[in-house]
Amino acid sequence: MAIGKTANNASALSQKPSKSKLRREIARHRSVYLLALIPLVYYIIFKYVPIWNAQIAFKDFMAVRGVVGSEWIGLENFKTFVNSFYFWSLIRNTVMYSVGKLLISLPLSIILAICIYECTRPVLRKVVQTLAYLPHFLSWVIMYGILLALLAPGDGVVNDIIKLCGGHAVDFLSNVKTFPWVVLFSDAWKEMGWSAIIFIAALMGIDVSLFEAAMVEGANSWQRVRYITLPAILPVIVTVLILKLGTILDAGFNQIFMLYSPQVYSVADIIDTWVYRQGLLEFEFGLATAVGLFKGVFGMILVLFANWLSKKITDSSLF
Amino acid sequence: MKKFKSILMIALVVLMALPMFASGSRETAKAAAGTPEDPVTIDLWFGAAVTEAGMIPDDWVGYEIIRNKLGIDLNLTMLPSNESDQDVRIQAAGAANSLPDLFMVRRPVLTNLVKQGLVAQVDDCFDKMPVRTAQQYDANSIAHTTINGHVYGFASPGAIARNEGLLIRKDWLDNLGLEVPMTIDELIEVARAFTFNDPDGNGRNDTYGYGAFVETDATLKGYPGSRLWPIMGAYGVEGLWCFDSENAGLNIYKPEFYDFMVTLKAMCDEGIIDPNWLSYKKDDFRAAWKQGRFGIMYEQNAAYAATANYAPFDANFPDGEWIVIDAVAGPEGHAAIGAYDMNYRIYAVSQKAADAGKLDKICELLEWMSSDEGYYLLGWGQEGVNYVIEDGIPVAGDLGDAAFTGPDGQVYTQLRNMVFYNGDVELASRYPTYVTEVSGKTMSALVTLREMQEKKWTSAIGSGTMPTPNADVQRYYDQSLAEFLTGARALTPENWQAFIDQFNAIGGEAWNASGVAKMQEDGLIH
Repeated sequence: MAIGKTANNASALSQKPSKSKLRREIARHRSVYLLALIPLVYYIIFKYVPIWNAQIAFKDFMAVRGVVGSEWIGLENFKTFVNSFYFWSLIRNTVMYSVGKLLISLPLSIILAICIYECTRPVLRKVVQTLAYLPHFLSWVIMYGILLALLAPGDGVVNDIIKLCGGHAVDFLSNVKTFPWVVLFSDAWKEMGWSAIIFIAALMGIDVSLFEAAMVEGANSWQRVRYITLPAILPVIVTVLILKLGTILDAGFNQIFMLYSPQVYSVADIIDTWVYRQGLLEFEFGLATAVGLFKGVFGMILVLFANWLSKKITDSSLF
Repeated sequence: MKKFKSILMIALVVLMALPMFASGSRETAKAAAGTPEDPVTIDLWFGAAVTEAGMIPDDWVGYEIIRNKLGIDLNLTMLPSNESDQDVRIQAAGAANSLPDLFMVRRPVLTNLVKQGLVAQVDDCFDKMPVRTAQQYDANSIAHTTINGHVYGFASPGAIARNEGLLIRKDWLDNLGLEVPMTIDELIEVARAFTFNDPDGNGRNDTYGYGAFVETDATLKGYPGSRLWPIMGAYGVEGLWCFDSENAGLNIYKPEFYDFMVTLKAMCDEGIIDPNWLSYKKDDFRAAWKQGRFGIMYEQNAAYAATANYAPFDANFPDGEWIVIDAVAGPEGHAAIGAYDMNYRIYAVSQKAADAGKLDKICELLEWMSSDEGYYLLGWGQEGVNYVIEDGIPVAGDLGDAAFTGPDGQVYTQLRNMVFYNGDVELASRYPTYVTEVSGKTMSALVTLREMQEKKWTSAIGSGTMPTPNADVQRYYDQSLAEFLTGARALTPENWQAFIDQFNAIGGEAWNASGVAKMQEDGLIH
């Protein structure tokens, strides 16, 4: 009996420590858990609770009847979106800007981060860093003013230079050939510094002795970047890439909304600007939600796919 | 320390949980008596009169008067100044079924809210506000907010009709020895001379003939917008809709619209329109004429002649002079400065407020606003503090910053658009005659207004109530015209017809048909 009791106690002990250990761990790191509570509550209130309202994507939403009381209409809202005269044009433009921004901004951010990290003069490094971060804090309204001053066909600085060289003025903001480049490069200019922060943080984590050893072995700067820096920050690059794929159908509403005009609709109108005009201004909240849901599901599929692919090829993945 | 941390943790959790209850408590079932002791709360979302100034301060005497005299506790919220932002704010509140009791709203949005059953019918309210109704709500105004046979809002007179005009730099004409243009050909000739003949004599090729920007809406000003109206007027296609019995419908269907496009395209190609016009926003355009970039423009009376607006131009060009000219005639003899509708500011009552029995109190409030006491208090502030009366007109006098025109005093007049109806007293007060600081010219935005109103305009009354197209049709319309103008699509009769055919196919024909039906239903065709 005594032996049995002891055996029971032993089995209980084998389970108990894990629970108490968890409690001890939580108690020990309570400050960290407390900090984590803030974003957790944020996500619950602003991200998870609203999922309940996503049902209006399948309803003819009437505000007086509320979310629950509105009539179910199946996939009608999705059909309206897919049958839009400009559906494929919207998808093409949205993907074009998302992928374009990824292809231009990401490498530029990495290059900037490496340059800042490699810079040996602290004052210069701080000045460059500050100047690179600054545009992130400007709104697109102000950015539009700056772009107009630079690119206006009548008296923009760039066109003044073109005319000085004997060329003809180009209306960069109203020309379908130039507008996409304005969008891509103005976004890169605005966000490059800010996006570089995460890569600078990753660079800070590289063991300095690796660089010292490489220098002893006679590696030049480019070789150090190629064989030490880039492989070291590869997991961060993959993580950023995967996260960005999740929002591939978010091409930057604020930017496009400020910059676009009817003359460039064909290359500027994206899903979000269409939703703004057709969904929000026309009180079609069901339609707007349906498009949001469509974007979310599409993004999630891409994230899962990219994560799988990354695991397969680089052995590095987000989850 | 441990206790302190625990308290801190609890406080943090409580703070984080607060947003969950941010939607506020539900109104209690017991209705307020509507007396000073137990006032009815009325939430009012209003359009500020001076958008760059701040909110009405808490110490405004109006709150006390409204509470004591009407038994109303007035809660004021300023709507965003930008119309799109206003629309989004109102629609978002509508979607959450939390519209305020009384709110300013544009008509297309009002239509959406009515469809949703969120707005109260106010057919019976006009009899309860005899003074205000006589002052502000005539048959046109009531028709403006009538939807499916019921009135869903109070439409007060908004911006003064026909308050814009075609202006030309007289000093440039004189410098080049040119006459004021009377026809579209002469206007183009003058624009050409302004572009290529150095009208300001500075030796630089830095001027253009015509200046504009794209100012459109979905009811009155179709693409390319009202700033081109004097040119469109020469072809009889000014405005989005034509209300003539012979051609009732969208102006785009008239053959003359194509002729207008050809003319405008030629002006763009020749470079006699400021090439920035497609990129300009309103403020850029206004900065440009003050910098002397072009010599012909379509501008609003106050934006041109009001003290603060004219001052930069006066400082830059003391010898410069703009004059308001007649509409130029086209090949068929058509001429019009533009198309005009009656402008209204609509205030609607939410169904929720009506269900809570607040409609009568709202009528009382509006009626009081139009009484002498309310009119002057909301329009100019307190006599002796914010204005003085001179010859029957409220003026700033020597009241300095506290005057209704000063930085401290103007915030007390933020509600003035709820009482103004463009009467003579208001206009004389709003647009005083003044002498410019640098050149010493005598200017008056009121004189300019009267001059502009005398010119030839086309009536498009009822445009504001016309149906709007869906986003795809609207985009196709705007985009196609823009592509023709920029050369992205060749402007040929064949391409134009192909555009019209496709426009019809994607919903333009149905839009036109619903518009014509609306005109017939409302008796708008003349």
